[in-house]
Amino acid sequence: MTLSAEKSGRGRSIGGYLIRMRSLNVFFIFVILFAVFTFLSPGNRFISKDNILIYLATGAEFNIIAVAVGMLMISGEFDLSVGSVLVFCSYTFTQVYASGVHILLAVIITAGAGTILGFINGMITVKARIPSFITTLGAMLLWRGVTLMWSGGEQKGIDLLQHPVMYKLIAGSIGGLIPSQFFWFIGIAVILALIMHYHKVGNWIFTTGDNREAARAMGIRTDRMKVLCFSIVGFAVAVAAVMQIFRAGTFSARAGDGWELKAIAAAVVGGTALTGGIGSMMGVFWGAFVISVIENGLVLLRVPYYWTFTIFGVVIVSTAILSVYIEKRRLLFGAERC
Amino acid sequence: MGDTKSGRGDTPLVRMVDIHKWFGKVCALRGINFEVQHNEIVGLVGDNGAGKSTLIKILSGYHGADRGEIYFEGKKINMSNPKDAKKLGIETVYQEQALSLHVSIARNVFMGRELTRTLGFMDRKRMDKESMDAITKLGLRIKDPEAVVEALSGGQRQGVAIARVLYFKAKLVILDEPTMALSVQESQQVLDFMQQLKAGGISVIFITHNIFHAYQAAERFFILSHGEALTDVRKEDTTIDHLIELIVSGKVEIKKQATEGKT
Repeated sequence: MTLSAEKSGRGRSIGGYLIRMRSLNVFFIFVILFAVFTFLSPGNRFISKDNILIYLATGAEFNIIAVAVGMLMISGEFDLSVGSVLVFCSYTFTQVYASGVHILLAVIITAGAGTILGFINGMITVKARIPSFITTLGAMLLWRGVTLMWSGGEQKGIDLLQHPVMYKLIAGSIGGLIPSQFFWFIGIAVILALIMHYHKVGNWIFTTGDNREAARAMGIRTDRMKVLCFSIVGFAVAVAAVMQIFRAGTFSARAGDGWELKAIAAAVVGGTALTGGIGSMMGVFWGAFVISVIENGLVLLRVPYYWTFTIFGVVIVSTAILSVYIEKRRLLFGAERC
Repeated sequence: MGDTKSGRGDTPLVRMVDIHKWFGKVCALRGINFEVQHNEIVGLVGDNGAGKSTLIKILSGYHGADRGEIYFEGKKINMSNPKDAKKLGIETVYQEQALSLHVSIARNVFMGRELTRTLGFMDRKRMDKESMDAITKLGLRIKDPEAVVEALSGGQRQGVAIARVLYFKAKLVILDEPTMALSVQESQQVLDFMQQLKAGGISVIFITHNIFHAYQAAERFFILSHGEALTDVRKEDTTIDHLIELIVSGKVEIKKQATEGKT
């Protein structure tokens, strides 16, 4: 009986620390990919200043969604509708903006719309007691369908350069160098990480995802936690939608296509369990970077786009296998460090 | 071992009077009178479906009784949810239900009642320290508050769940089948925890259908059968064979004179 107690004491060793530091493992994967792309890209273009900046800017849009999805998955739920909510938010933004309201108001309305769609996903899931896989599968089809009908599926230009301050804040750069999107991403990721690992609400979300009955028995409002996570995902998606449309200057009906699975992939690569209760925001942070760096790197290597999927597939399955191995080891070393 | 808290006189810690409970047309409990004294371990024994869980769920605020009254420290109480019971100091440890396996010990101990500093941010250092203190008080040796519960043995897991109620200054701890699915050695550990609770002045209701465990740990036995109280007997007034006979037959034998027939 003291055997496992002694084992758990081993968490203080360096090896134990590395195993517990899941995010570090993901970070290593990122570094390896970074090095591979640097060496393989023609003229080391991958590491050129231009590419890094493009990567930080476009990657941030996806990364923001991925960290929120990671949080949702820790609470034990999925969201397959992020891509569709994204395109819906994009079109909402163009329409609200076209109606002539102040640009800031248009941004706020879009953020509200995304949050509400996430909230609806959450409420349906917890009140009707259906798996979020089903709820959000429905929402995925619904919101893309609605957006296609509403927009006629056409591209639509939108001139946002006439708002230089907003543009600079959302899609410009700070000091003419680091893209604003990157700061938004870091800001949102840090806030979510503080909530998940340092705030009591984070403990409620972890325990809700891990053992809902236990959490409920201890007086935690598990339904509320889940709805909160869904709403945060909706909000993050809306933020990404606004950024994307500021950067691109056009609405495209294909925006966000396939992002739902990429976001889940980022969370899984980052060490989040599909069953909830396990994960760290730092892990998801680097998981998001891994997924977006693959996409960027393959483009630079001039690998045909279809290969991206193939490589995603390999990366997801191999990291999942690695994950199972690490989780088993981690049992002996103690709780995750972030 | 534990000295009875003087000054409280004869007022029992808990007195449940004439408790009835129906689920639809099924009568789950029929006029139960149940008492727990200060600093006492009571074994609540009975076969499956005898009404043990229902009685305990009423006492821990999950169900309301359809008839009957509950007194806690002499005062009549009305509970509408488990939080009311917790506020009074009645804590229930449900088997296999109380812990989040992938979360650290400290976070489990303080689940839902985290120690915080400003703005709801957790005081993790204090949570680590206090949870280890509570666990050590139980006589359990675990070094790392950040160990995940999944890595612990069954007995240690029960210890973590019990440490939680110990920390939150329970007056009455209800243990629902704590030795189920545990090895012999681990069960022994859990029985020891009960003595630790008693030594700390806490009363324990120990629900089990393992009569041997009940006999070893408890000072009094309350036996339920088909929603009725079969007997309420002190350990010195009975034998284990007699208890087994009672449970198996489901009837009180008239020739046994020792029972304090409270029914």
